[in-house]
Amino acid sequence: MLLETLDLKKTYRSGKVEVEALRGVNIQIRSGELVAIMGPSGSGKSTLMHLLGAMSRATAGKVLIDGKNIAGMNDAERTEIRRTKLGFVFQKLNLLPTLTARDNIGVARTIQGSAGDPQIDAYLADILKLLKIEDKAGRRPSELSGGEQQRFAIARAVSHRPALVLADEPTGALDSKNSEIVLQMFRELNRKFQQTILLVTHNPELAAYADRLIEMRDGLVVHDSGYVASAVAGVLSET
Amino acid sequence: MNWKIILEGLKARPVRTGVTILAVALQVSLILVLVGLTTGTTDEIGRRVAGIGADIMFQPAGSDVILALDSATLVPEIGEKLRNDFEEIQDVSPLLVRFNTKNFTNIFGIDPPSFDAVSGGLRYKKGKLFSAPDEIVIDDIFAKDKKLDVGDTYELEHRMFRVTGIVENGKGARVVMALKTAQELANAENKVTVFLIKLKDSSDINGAIEKMKKDLPGYDLRNMPEYNKLMTGANIPGLDAANNVIVFVALCIGVLVIFLSMYTTIMERTREIGILRSLGASKVFIVGLIMKESLFICLIGVLLGMAGSVVITRTAQAYFPTMVFLISNKWLIIAAASALMSGVIGSLHPALKASGQDPVEAFAYE
Repeated sequence: MLLETLDLKKTYRSGKVEVEALRGVNIQIRSGELVAIMGPSGSGKSTLMHLLGAMSRATAGKVLIDGKNIAGMNDAERTEIRRTKLGFVFQKLNLLPTLTARDNIGVARTIQGSAGDPQIDAYLADILKLLKIEDKAGRRPSELSGGEQQRFAIARAVSHRPALVLADEPTGALDSKNSEIVLQMFRELNRKFQQTILLVTHNPELAAYADRLIEMRDGLVVHDSGYVASAVAGVLSET
Repeated sequence: MNWKIILEGLKARPVRTGVTILAVALQVSLILVLVGLTTGTTDEIGRRVAGIGADIMFQPAGSDVILALDSATLVPEIGEKLRNDFEEIQDVSPLLVRFNTKNFTNIFGIDPPSFDAVSGGLRYKKGKLFSAPDEIVIDDIFAKDKKLDVGDTYELEHRMFRVTGIVENGKGARVVMALKTAQELANAENKVTVFLIKLKDSSDINGAIEKMKKDLPGYDLRNMPEYNKLMTGANIPGLDAANNVIVFVALCIGVLVIFLSMYTTIMERTREIGILRSLGASKVFIVGLIMKESLFICLIGVLLGMAGSVVITRTAQAYFPTMVFLISNKWLIIAAASALMSGVIGSLHPALKASGQDPVEAFAYE
C-alpha cells in the first residue's frame, strides 16, 4: 500500500469559530493507480490533498506514505517528504515566471539533489517527449500556452520519480481542448511509467479519465469505486 | 541554479532593483565622502604644518594639534629664551595662527626673516612677499579657489587686503600676512600661538625634544616633520565620534532600505516561495536565497558607491579646490562592510518571514 489514511481529521479554528474540514477520512491508494477525488466546493478535497501532500498537519488521524506516518511530522520532516516522495501540479501559476521552463525543472532538480544525474536527464527527455513539449523548454511561462505550462508543471512534478503525484484541479484554468490534452498526459504517465497519480477535482468529466473515483462530501468519503473494479475496467478497456 | 533564480528575479523587477542598489550606493558614498572630507581636511592641515620646514613646534602645555583651536598666549621673550638657552637651536620664529571661519582656513601671521630661516622660505610662483600691513601672500590653491591673482584685493576679517604673491601650497597656511597685522586681527598684541624652531642638527629631532623638555616643563614640543601623524581621532577631539555618527547613520539608512526592499520582494513573490516550498525547498534554502539576493544587491551598490564617491570628490575638488578628500583603504573596507552588514541585517526578518510561510496560504495568495 503506497498511501493510506486512518480516520484523518482536520479542523480549522478562527477565533471561536471551528470548521471541521475533514471528519474522519479513510482511503487506501496502491502504487500505479490513477485516482480522482471528486466533490463539490467545501467537501474537503483540497484539505485532504494538503494533508496527503505534507503541506499541513492533521488535527487527528494518520497519513501513511510507504508505511511512514506523516501526520504528526514537523515542518522539516514534511519538507523532506515533499522533496523525496511527492510531486505537485496546481491549478494555475505553477511555474516560476522569471525562469525558462527548462530552468523551472532545473530548480526542482537542484532542490531534490538530482541536478546533473544522467539517469534523470534521460528519464526527463522521455517525459518531455511523451508530453510533446521537448522543443519548448527554452521558453518562459509567459511564452507558453496554459496547457503547455501545465505539461511542464507535470514534467517538473515527476522529475524526481516521486512515489505519488498530487494534482489539484490541474485543468481548472484551461480550456476544454487543453484540458483534454493534459488529462491524456496524466493517463500516459500512469500507463507508461506506472506513476501513481491523485487528481482532485469537482469536474465529473475529469474524473472519467481516472481508473478509480473517490467521492467526498462534507469532509467524509461517501463513495469509493475501489481499486479492483477500476483496474479490471482499465485492463478491459485497453484490450 | 540558485543564482539563476536570484539574477532573473532581479532583472524582472528592474526599478526595485535599481532603486535598492542606488540606496546602498548612497550609503557607501555618504561614508566615503563625508569621512573622506574630515580625514582629508585634517590630514592636509597636518601635511601643510609638517611642510613648513621647521623641526620643532613650541606650544603651551595642553595645546591642540589643530592650531586654529589655540589662542595666542606666548610672549616674544620666550622665543629669545629658547634662542639663548639651547645651543641645539639654530633659529626661532614666532607664528600667530588665526582661523578664518568664512573661508574655513588658517591664516599665518609671520615674521618673514625668521620664518625664512626656520622654513627655508616660501616658494613663489608669482609676485613677492608683502611689505605693508594690508598686504597678503596666498597659496596657489586658495588663488584658484577664489580666482585671485597678484594685485587683486580680497576681504578678510572685515578688512581689504591686496595680494602681493602666490606661493606653492603645502607650506603652512593658505594665507600669510605680517605678524603684527595678524596680532591686530586676533586682538593679541605682542602675543603668538607657537614658536617654530630650527635645529642645528635635524637628524635626531626627538632626541632634542626629550632634552629640551626637561628644562621646559609646562610646554609642548612637537616633532614637525611627523606632525601629520598626530592628525588622528586620538588627538583631535570629536573626530572619531563624528566619523562614527556618519557610519551609524549610513548603516541605518542601508538597513531600512534593504528591509523595505526585501520585504516588498517576498510579498510579491509569496506564490513563488510557495512553489519552492511545495517542491521541497527547506526553510534554510529560502532564507539563503533571500539573503544571497540582498547581499548581491549590496555588492553592486558597494561598487557603484565607491565609483560614485570618486566622481563626487573629484567634482567637488574641481569646483572647490580647497576641499580635500582622503579615501583610505581602511575606510573603503569599513564602507563596504557597513553596506554588506546592512544587507544581512535588513534582509534577515524578511528572509525568516518568507521561510516560515505556510505553503497552503502561499498558494491561496493572489
